[in-house]
Amino acid sequence: MHEFPVLEVGGLHIEISTFLAITVSAIITFLLARLAVRNLSVENPSKLQNFMEWVVEFVQNTIASTMPLRRVKPFVALGLTLIMFIFISNLLGLPFGIVTETHSVNAALGVTQELLNEHGGAVELAWWKSPTADINVTAGLAVIVFVVVHFLGLKLNRKHYIKHYFQPYWFFAPLNLIETIAKPLTLALRLYANIFAGEVLIATILMLGIAGTPFMIVWQGFSIFVGAIQAFLFTILTMVYISQAAIHDENEQH
Amino acid sequence: MDLRWESFVYAILAFGILYWLLNRYAFGPLFSIMEKRREMIQEQMNSAEKNRAEADQFIEEQKQALQQARKEAYDIIEQARITSSKQADDIVQTARNESTRIKDEALQEIESEKNRAVAALKAQVSGLSVLIASKIIEKQVDEQSQKELVDQYLQNVGNKS
Repeated sequence: MHEFPVLEVGGLHIEISTFLAITVSAIITFLLARLAVRNLSVENPSKLQNFMEWVVEFVQNTIASTMPLRRVKPFVALGLTLIMFIFISNLLGLPFGIVTETHSVNAALGVTQELLNEHGGAVELAWWKSPTADINVTAGLAVIVFVVVHFLGLKLNRKHYIKHYFQPYWFFAPLNLIETIAKPLTLALRLYANIFAGEVLIATILMLGIAGTPFMIVWQGFSIFVGAIQAFLFTILTMVYISQAAIHDENEQH
Repeated sequence: MDLRWESFVYAILAFGILYWLLNRYAFGPLFSIMEKRREMIQEQMNSAEKNRAEADQFIEEQKQALQQARKEAYDIIEQARITSSKQADDIVQTARNESTRIKDEALQEIESEKNRAVAALKAQVSGLSVLIASKIIEKQVDEQSQKELVDQYLQNVGNKS
């Protein structure tokens, strides 16, 4: 497998491929959204605007399936940002990879003598990947969701939010705590594992050379599908968690 | 795969900044446009509904006006029929009166004409009677000539036989 170059700046370990991928994903997401709203028009929307509005409505419907319709509005922007950023991130590592081979020790990139010895004198450095194929990134996203969920729970729905830890009886509290921790953990691991596995398989198929082309075509297509599904899943789960914690309707049981 | 808190923090930061930027520069305008379109469609639907109601009302009014016109036309025709029949009766009545009058006048004329004729005849007859009487008187005065006349007649008779 490839090693990922790590830049050491002032005691920080900056993993170049991850930072690059996050930045590029964010820029692409922002540019796409910006392009879509460049010539906004009520009567005569451009094709990209139409597509963007479709995405907005899709996200709105998705959120509406988890909570009452009138509570949807504040979360649409969050859902949109999540689904767009994660989807673009998932696709980022698919079309190509940038791999360089190095034979010399490069302390600044984290290439040490031991690593060289371990790989027989030549280390392959990967500069490009999906940001979501990195557990740190998905953990970051999951933590954002975690914070948002519990902040909203405390702010909008304090009584029921606190009470739900002791449901149905007080001694269920540890179980409920585990559940609370497990939610962001599974959120992060699910996304990371799916995308990482996809990239590993792509790297594996690449080892087959020309013979691997049909597998590659199939797997690339499937990876796009997985990327879309995972982005959707992350978004809808976020909304479900928000709905569970923050939205309480008197006539509804959570 | 190493756990690196730098990547973790950078991901959170990047996502936060992206969320803020998108909200500020992309989603805000897009949502407002979508809201505007929703309002526009709502407005158009309302106005279409209103127009339809108005159109229905107009049709109803037209129908009533048509009904009214039809009724008026019927009334007018009925009126005309009554008037005309009355007029015809009047005319016939007048004609009948006139003819009676003319006939009476003619009868009177005939009567008076007849009377006049009778009067004239009477005058003439009296004149003639006087004439005849005078003639007869004239002849009787002259015996001689009467005898001659008789002889003359007799002679004439003898000659002829």
